[in-house]
Amino acid sequence: MKILVCIKQVPQKDAPLRLNEAGTWIRDDVSWETNEPDAYALEEALRQKEKHGGEVAAITAGPARAQQVLREALAKGADRAIHLEDDRFAQMDAANTARAIAAAIAGENFDLIVTGLQSDDFGAAQTGVLLAEILGVPHATIIIGIEKTDAGLKLKRELEAGHYQHIEMTMPAVLTIQSGINKLRYATLIGIKQAKMKPMRKVTWAEVEGKLSKHVQKIERLYVPGSQKKTRKIEAPAGEAAKQVVEYLKNEARAI
Amino acid sequence: MEADVVIVGGGPAGMACALRLAQLIDAHNASGVDELLSKENICVLEKSREVGQHCLSGGLLDPRSMRELLPGFEKEAPLDAEVTKESVWFLTRSGRYKAPIVPPPLRDHGNYVISLNKFVKWMGQKVEQAGITVFTGFAGSELLWANESKDVETARVLGVQTDDKGVDKEGRPKGNFEPGYELRAKVTILAEGTRGSLAKELISKLGLEDLEHAQTYGVGIKELWEIPAGRVAKGEVIYTLGYPLTSREYGGAWVYGISDTLVSVGYVTGLDYQDPRTDPHHVFQSFKEHKLARRILEGGKMIRYGAKSLPYGGWLTMPRIYGNGWMLLGDSASFLNSQRLKGIHLAIKSGMLAAEAAFDALVSGDSSADRLREYKAAVDASWIREELWPVRNFHQGFEHGLLGGMVRAGIQQVRRGGNLGPDAKNGAGYTRMERVDELGPALAKRAPMVGNAKGDGKLTFDRLTDVFHSGTRHDEDQPVHLVVEDLSICSSRCTKEYGNPCQYFCPAAVYEMVEQPQRADTPRAEGAGTDGGSDGSTKELRINFTNCVHCKTCDIMDPYQIITWVPPEGGGGPNYDGM
Ligand SMILES: Cc1cc2nc3c(=O)[nH]c(=O)nc-3n(C[C@H](O)[C@H](O)[C@H](O)COP(=O)(O)OP(=O)(O)OC[C@H]3O[C@@H](n4cnc5c(N)ncnc54)[C@H](O)[C@@H]3O)c2cc1C
Ligand SMILES: Cc1cc2nc3c(=O)[nH]c(=O)nc-3n(C[C@H](O)[C@H](O)[C@H](O)COP(=O)(O)OP(=O)(O)OC[C@H]3O[C@@H](n4cnc5c(N)ncnc54)[C@H](O)[C@@H]3O)c2cc1C
Repeated sequence: MKILVCIKQVPQKDAPLRLNEAGTWIRDDVSWETNEPDAYALEEALRQKEKHGGEVAAITAGPARAQQVLREALAKGADRAIHLEDDRFAQMDAANTARAIAAAIAGENFDLIVTGLQSDDFGAAQTGVLLAEILGVPHATIIIGIEKTDAGLKLKRELEAGHYQHIEMTMPAVLTIQSGINKLRYATLIGIKQAKMKPMRKVTWAEVEGKLSKHVQKIERLYVPGSQKKTRKIEAPAGEAAKQVVEYLKNEARAI
Repeated sequence: MEADVVIVGGGPAGMACALRLAQLIDAHNASGVDELLSKENICVLEKSREVGQHCLSGGLLDPRSMRELLPGFEKEAPLDAEVTKESVWFLTRSGRYKAPIVPPPLRDHGNYVISLNKFVKWMGQKVEQAGITVFTGFAGSELLWANESKDVETARVLGVQTDDKGVDKEGRPKGNFEPGYELRAKVTILAEGTRGSLAKELISKLGLEDLEHAQTYGVGIKELWEIPAGRVAKGEVIYTLGYPLTSREYGGAWVYGISDTLVSVGYVTGLDYQDPRTDPHHVFQSFKEHKLARRILEGGKMIRYGAKSLPYGGWLTMPRIYGNGWMLLGDSASFLNSQRLKGIHLAIKSGMLAAEAAFDALVSGDSSADRLREYKAAVDASWIREELWPVRNFHQGFEHGLLGGMVRAGIQQVRRGGNLGPDAKNGAGYTRMERVDELGPALAKRAPMVGNAKGDGKLTFDRLTDVFHSGTRHDEDQPVHLVVEDLSICSSRCTKEYGNPCQYFCPAAVYEMVEQPQRADTPRAEGAGTDGGSDGSTKELRINFTNCVHCKTCDIMDPYQIITWVPPEGGGGPNYDGM
């Protein structure tokens, strides 16, 4: 199986975030890491390759610093990497990111493309789905189990409240992977050394620019919600507190 | 796995060592010799997830060694400001007295304000560009020995064992278990910084510490603050002595202007205080309430927190720094000038000199102590000795408090480092801790330094709020990396004798004595790690290891010396962005 993994570099979880001067995004003087569900997508790709043979390529669209996530992927066992390298990829909307990725892999014919469920920074959960649409292949989201069959794929999707859906699909396909689907492996010393020898293809802005839409979504303003000082603290044993909450919701808030 | 040289620790010492080795190997290979050396056989192990994440310093760089290592480094290194202005203050609770002149050791003109985190990140890039791999997320967890010998002349280090990954909290392998590597090397270089865990193993096994000159430490608590412009100039340096510490303790504060709106502020408390209730984090919080600091910080915003110990002892406490197959550098070997609160430039220089010895060992095929002695000889002949020898008695002079220390420091200035009489001796700092049952209740004037700080959430903070700002993360499902040899001591002897000082000296709230309400129906097993209180409750030590910021204070200051800090799974720890 020829598999592509889409990996985004995002601000490290728990990093204290601060807004930039213009109030349009966070300051980028933070540490970065691989978007969590993408790490699971990579692990899943590596496991499929180990079972069925083939190759795993990792792709990221981001500035120079984003190369780090590709190096990690190579160290864990990906065979090659593709880096759409430009600062302008850092805050691009999901539709154009998908267009850029599609342009960068034109002619590659992957059997399977896996992405994370959503990114930890924007949280749009759109890039994978849009990529499938652009490539004209089927997709499935929130995947927590993949089994390759002769006909294609048998998949398990996570629904809400402990329900699951089992579906079958043909390949090529795009899957968005849920965190926790597997147990992540560690990069090994030897893996890190070998990663340096593996091919990393750079794709410039100019190479994909023609495929991008002129209508780019952008964030106009981001702000920390102001506190309205309307908090009311109910201090009582749990049972008593619950009663008071219900009373409040009924009589004062008239919500129930 | 086999390597030529393994460097454990990617701080300024380790990175300088790697970079110098790369330079020497490049020059060697270009000189037309037959036997080429490969930079692929050099590796740097760094326990943090990314280069520099565990590096913290006040933030002044004496550029001397960097100019030797990379002439012209100023043009590309991340330097925030050149020092423009300095002042020294003595603080009392409500007053402040400016020293009429800045004492020569604290004159910082010509130094740069940096973030060590950013600086080491940059050094790491240089190392990688030079062709040497930095393995981040890998800790050296044990030394590999050629034999059982405990004699420094015959013992030989063969390399290091890296940490096992994917072990659960009971010590069982998880599904993704990845055993550590036996990384064998001709030369093993320990550059683990303050109180290195492998360095500690080496020093104790081979008996390298001079008991009359035991290493002493301080712990520095630091915050980065964004403040309104106009309060501290970019490149301004402020040192203070005194409040909230009293004349019985050693320590002081710094404020460094990174930009017109960003300051590095911190307080170092000597880890040789007597009152076991002393809380260095509280000391720093109280300092911020002093009007000198308040005027700078009030209305600003704290954006990062960190804590780290530093070796204070200087030249006289330096252990032997070489042996068969090993060398010690940087803070791990006491290359720090405590009078100037500076160690980065010495760490770098020690790394360069060790690289030269390691290179000669590779070329000659001889990495015995006889060959590596060259490193010690080079240190003795270098400006490291010139800088550290005259201040060798500085900290020891303060062992009996601030006033005596000032007088002795004055004498040492005149006598080029000598006391009136022989060089001072000193024991380890924890031995000076006094028993709480002999101390009586804390005096009011000690209130600003004993017990945990509560914090007002604006200018001052409790430890948990601060730890949150250190970006610390550890996988919860792994063995506790703060290994307490005998927990029963904590809840019995220590509670009575010292009042569990771990609750106070740890700046990350790792150690907590928690009530264990005793149930009448379960008779308590004898010898369990609990102690019956008079109210029928018992207290047990809880170790919140995921908070640990890797400062090593517990390993240093625990009065029974039963806490051993071992590296947690590689990648865990603080994230000192910008520190
Ligand atoms: C990005 C994202 C996308 C998600 N998408 C989905 C999705 O598509 N479908 C889905 O099913 N789930 C989704 N979830 C998960 C879902 O939002 C949470 O599981 C769910 O909201 C948790 O509800 P709870 O009642 O268990 O949480 P609780 O922890 O009980 O809290 C819920 C709320 O109760 C109130 N509350 C709790 N304690 C107190 C208190 N002491 N006093 C006053 N108020 C209190 C607070 O308002 C609190 O926010 C998503 C989560 C995230 C982060
Ligand atoms: C509060 C404070 C303020 C200071 N202010 C200044 C100042 O303004 N100017 C100045 O010049 N000096 C200052 N110093 C001293 C200076 O920071 C140190 O001297 C210097 O960082 C020492 O460099 P090093 O490379 O020896 O150790 P470190 O900088 O501590 O680096 C050691 C590295 O090794 C890694 N490591 C440790 N153990 C292992 C292991 N077992 N396996 C893998 N990796 C490991 C650590 O994660 C770390 O990255 C200050 C120190 C402190 C604590």
